[in-house]
Order: sequence, then C-alpha cells, then structure tokens
Amino acid sequence: MSKTSARNFFIVVCITPAILLFTIFMVIPTIDVFRMSLYQWGGFSNEKQFVGFENFKFLWNDMKFIQAFQNSIFLIVIVAIVTLLFAIFFAAVLTNKTINGRGFFRIIFYIPNILSIVVIAGVFSAIYDPSSGLLNSILGVFNLEMWQQKWLGNQQIVIYSVAFALVWQAIGYYMVMYMSSMASVPASFYEAASLEGASSFKQFTDITLPLIWNNIRTTLTFYIISTINLSFLLVKAMTGGGPDGSTEVFLSYMYEQAYGNSTYGYGMAIGVVVFLFSFILSAIISHITKRDVLEY
Amino acid sequence: MVKALQKKYDKHVDSIKKGEFVLNFKKLLISLSMGAMVFTLGACSEKEDVNGASESEEKVLKVAALESAYGKDMWHQVAESYEAMNEGVKVELTIEKNLEEVIRPNMQAGEFPDVLLLATNRPEAMTETLIKENGLEQISDVFERTVPGEKQSVSDKLLGGFTETLATNPYADGETYLAPMFYSPTGLFYNKGLFEEKGWEVPATWEEMWELGDKAAKEGISLFTYPTTGYFDTLVGSMMYASGGADFFNSAMKYEDGVWETKEAKKVLQTIEKLSEYTHPNTVANANPKDYTKNQQMILDNNALFMPNGTWVVDEMKEAPRADNFEWGITAIPAFEENGDRYAFTFFEQMWIPAKAKNKEAAKDFIAYMYSDQAAQHFLESGAVQPITGMTDKLEDEKKTFYSIYEDDAVLPAMGTFASTKPVPGANMGDVLYGKVDSVMSGKLTYKEWQASIEEVSDKLRAAMK
Repeated sequence: MSKTSARNFFIVVCITPAILLFTIFMVIPTIDVFRMSLYQWGGFSNEKQFVGFENFKFLWNDMKFIQAFQNSIFLIVIVAIVTLLFAIFFAAVLTNKTINGRGFFRIIFYIPNILSIVVIAGVFSAIYDPSSGLLNSILGVFNLEMWQQKWLGNQQIVIYSVAFALVWQAIGYYMVMYMSSMASVPASFYEAASLEGASSFKQFTDITLPLIWNNIRTTLTFYIISTINLSFLLVKAMTGGGPDGSTEVFLSYMYEQAYGNSTYGYGMAIGVVVFLFSFILSAIISHITKRDVLEY
Repeated sequence: MVKALQKKYDKHVDSIKKGEFVLNFKKLLISLSMGAMVFTLGACSEKEDVNGASESEEKVLKVAALESAYGKDMWHQVAESYEAMNEGVKVELTIEKNLEEVIRPNMQAGEFPDVLLLATNRPEAMTETLIKENGLEQISDVFERTVPGEKQSVSDKLLGGFTETLATNPYADGETYLAPMFYSPTGLFYNKGLFEEKGWEVPATWEEMWELGDKAAKEGISLFTYPTTGYFDTLVGSMMYASGGADFFNSAMKYEDGVWETKEAKKVLQTIEKLSEYTHPNTVANANPKDYTKNQQMILDNNALFMPNGTWVVDEMKEAPRADNFEWGITAIPAFEENGDRYAFTFFEQMWIPAKAKNKEAAKDFIAYMYSDQAAQHFLESGAVQPITGMTDKLEDEKKTFYSIYEDDAVLPAMGTFASTKPVPGANMGDVLYGKVDSVMSGKLTYKEWQASIEEVSDKLRAAMK
C-alpha cells in the first residue's frame, strides 16, 4: 500500500462515523422537513396527500403567520442590537484593570445564562406581575404610578417584556465572548495610543473594535439562531403566545399548526421558511460585515 | 543517550516501512469505527418485541391514559382488577401527565396503544388529529355489550345523552367513536361565604349580573375573571344553548353558513363584550399558562366574584390561601331573559381505540369493563366520576352539591363540541372563538370584528367538513 493511499484510507476511516451520524441526524431530517412541507398530512395516518406548494400559498394569506413573523424579526433585531451594545460596553468596562471587583461583576452578569429558560420565565412572571410584581412595586415607590403597566397583558407592550427577558439572559454570555478577545489585544497598542494623547473612547473605537471585529461578526449569527430558539422556549413557558397571539413567534406558531391544528405539512412549510430565513439572514449579515482581518 | 534514542527511532521507522504498524493500526481503526457505528445504530433501533413471542400464552393490552388531577393509583387498581377477572391478559399501563409527548414517537412509527384515555380540546389536539385522519375505531357495539361480570348492558348503565353529541360521534353519522368517561359539570365558580356575608343573591339573568357587578364595583370587587381564554369553551357553549337552544348550538358546531351573524350569536358575543367592562383589570395579564392560577386566586381572595371553571378547580387550588369563611359555590350560566333557560356545560374525558391498535377486541372488552361497578368504584375513590346511573348518590359533601347542579337549580345540561373537518392550515375555531377573547377584554377588538373573524374561519372549515 502506497503512502498516499494509506493516508487517504486513514482519513476516510476517521471521518466515516461522524459523516454517518451527521447524515442520519442532520441531513436526512432536514430533507424530510422540506419533503413533508409539500404534503397535506395530520401526522399519524398513511394518507399523505401531495399538494405541491399549496402549503406555502396558504402562508401568504395567513395573518397569524405574518404576525408571528413580524414578532420574530422584531425580537431578532431588538435583542441583537441591545445585547450587542450592552455586552460590548460591559466587556470594555470589565477588561479595564483599574476597576475593583471585576471578578464579582463577571459572575453576576454570567449567572442569567446558566439558568434554565423555564426558571427565567418564572423570574420574569414575578417581576411583571401586575399587582405585586417587582417592576410595578418599584415604580410605585418612586411615585411613578403613571408608568405602571400590565407588562404581560397590554398587547402593545408585551413583546418588549419578552425582549427584555431575552436581553437580560443573553448579555453575560456575549460579554464573556467579547472580553476574551479584548484581553488578547496587546497592551502596548493602548500604551502607544495614550502617549499620542488618544482618549479612552478613541482607543476603544480605533483599537478595540477593529481588533475584535471578527468575533463580533461571529456573534451576529449566534444572535439570530439563539433568539429564534430561545424566544420559542420563553414564549411557551411564559406567555403561551398570548394575549391573542401578540407574542407568537414563528417556532411557536409552527408547533401550534403542526400539532394543535393537525396540519403537520403546513407546520413543516413554516419550518422551511424559518430555515431559509435564518440561513439567508445570516449569510447577508456575514457578507455586509466583511472587513479585512487586522493582524497584530 | 542520543544514540540510543536514534536507534529506537530507526527501528520504529523500519517497522512502519515494513507495514507492520500500519496494519495493526489499520485493524484497530476499522474495529473502532465499526464499533462506533454499530453502537449508534444499535441505540437507534427498536428493541425486539419480547411480548410478541409469548403472545400465545399471555395477551398484552396496552392502555395509555392521561394522568390528570385524579392521579395514577386508580389506573393501577383498575388494571389489577381487570387482570384478576381475565386470566391470561396483562394490562400494560402508560400513565403520564404529558401523555402526547410520550406516546407520539411510537405512534408515528406505527406502534399504537390499544386503548387511550385522552380528551379532546387539549392544546396538543392528538385526539382531534386522529379523528380528522379517520384514525379511530368505531365502538358503537361496545354500548350493546354486557358489562363484564354483570348482567346489564353498558347503555343500560350509562346516563342519557352522553353518547348523542359530536363529542362522542364526531362525524355526526350516528356512530360512536369515543366513550364518555370522567365527567364534571362546569359553570361559574364563586365564594358562597362572601355572598352570605354581603347578603347578595346569586344572579339568574345577565341583567341581574350587571346590577351585582355595579354593586360589587363600589366595594372594589370585580364581577368576573377567567383563568385563560380556553375556559370560554364551556361558557360560550352554555351561552349558545341559552340563546338559541340545542338546534342552534348544533348548527354552529357544524359551521352552518351565517350562523355567527344571527341575532342569537350576536347576543352571546355582545354579552361577552359587555362582560369586559366588569372583568378584573389584571385578568388578561395573568391569562397565560404560567400565571392562570393568579386569576383563580382572585376568587379565593374576594377580588373577583365569578369565574368559569370545572369541579377540578377545587383540588387544583387545595393548598392556596383563602379568605375567611370561604366556601366553593357553583352556578349555571345566567339566562338572557327572566325565567329563560339556564345551562351548565358538562365536560367529559373520552376513551377510544385507535384504528391501528392490535388488540381491538380486547380493547372493546376493556372499555365495557370501565362501566362495571368494580371499576367505577376505583375511579370514584380517586374523585373521578363516570356518567353511570346512581353514581352521584355515592358522592359526598362539596362534590355532591357540584354534581347535583342540574337537579337543584332546574338547570339544563349542555354537551357537545365542534364537528370534525379535514385539517385546514391556519384555520382553528378555538383560536378565533376563544383566543380572541383576550383582545375583546382589553378593548382592542369590537364584537363586530370578532364576529366577522369567527364567521370567516367557520366558512373555511365548512368547506372542509366531511
């Protein structure tokens, strides 16, 4: 056996199990979702009726789907922007060596991330409680009764309440990611900049941001994926998509249609839209944020 | 030292060149990767059906039931008694609170339980899905059978009316597919103690209801609250009966054209719209799967007077703190005019056999056994009441007053549910008729807009009727 063929053989043997598992558990189910979206099927019987793109036509006229889609996009945008700003801000502050108790704050910020989403739903349903909740009580203490709200009852506000809970749990995770790449920026850059008289804001925008840009780009994709997933879990556990669909997100609507309405094929059509949407959105974001990687 | 190392290295390279090492390593790799594959695939595949082999000696009857407020114990007792009566039959129980999630994977793979106790109107709608897909076995003949171990037939023992609605005969063709099991009257629940203390009368008409609402508002108590919008299914049902009678109710359940635009339907929707003025302001904020008990707590705390609910609420709120001299009361839904008909909707859980079950004959026998005195007694001890003649006489205290709602108040029973249709993407009657109540309550939706959207969904479903 020649050296190259032995090497190739070695590679094939090593990756076969992984490829096999990937095919069985990722590729085949994904193809199946696409296939099932072309059928009308309740989920149990043998009567699968091929309907072509009929399910997708229904989607266009389904106002509840459009509402769920709007809510999801709103959450992705608002959660990504707000979390990004806060996480970078806190990361920049906490990498500053002159701050006391940095370790303590790091832990505090990271704690929400290790809580299960059901626990977070419990925490926030206590915070948002209309009569005895933390938020309304605090506003009452400061005589700000006019700002008191039914945080989970007012259909104009409830989606913000969900967004706030998602931001709260996400900040710590992204903060740690940004901190790790900020810590690897050589201190000499900052020393040189301060000798030149650059303010710390100038140092942040001209040194820190460009050098951690690649990391930020990666996290933008994370925001999309994790908001789609976590918003489903949080909505399921906290609001049930209500009041009257005002917190319905596309995965919760997909679940409701696939099981609750006995239209499994239609649910899978929603799944296809979610799949393509998150893929394309990630690709677009990755493309427009592309910059030359700065070496140091 | 260096030389020794060099020697060792050369020897090693030699062995590689000779192919010894490669061969051994290759064998190891192949066996490792094969092992990994076999392991993963083995983990995925089904275990061999052990029962299949011994079927000749012992018949296994697979029973799956939802674990509700009544608990698991009664099922084990019933299974034991049934096994004692039928030698050679083994009852295999699956009793879970999240039954749908537990059995769905096996069912999708074609492994169905023989008997299921799972009601309609659950969020996962598994029973409805099987109805829509013609996945239920017809069981009309079960009711003509003699109850195992007794002399009477099942239909002799069953209370009247229970096998005549769309909840048991989903295709409206006179054939029964679902057997009525545990039932519970629903109605408006309130604190009897508070009414005695204040000297208030329980209202019999909506007019009296509004008067009481104004009176209570002066004392800072709201007239009405609801756990979640799902609880409007029985409330709207009773109101539809009261407004237009059984025929009107059935025509709405069969999605007849324009039924939601009639004056009877308008009366119902307008009353609910008016009810929003009397509903506790925190209700909508709590009306979700996480906080609905906070709405139920309002009754216990005297913050609201009435809520639509079923008798299970008593057990559900057993541990909750309550006002002094609190006592549960239940009343039928008020009439629209003086001396008009009043209804209390009867909620019941259903038992059925999947069309793909393996032991249909044994399953039918098991359902017939459910109506035996022996089984009924086991269920009753856990608080589950079946629609069997004479059952309510065996009840005690609070339970007895609830179940005698139909005798005391000269109140009529109401039953039924929506007819089965082919599944229509995006069109769900529950979502539009009950789900939108939150928007009506918060004033975001007028009854006219609500009415229009109900009629729209009703039109879509009529087209899909079987």
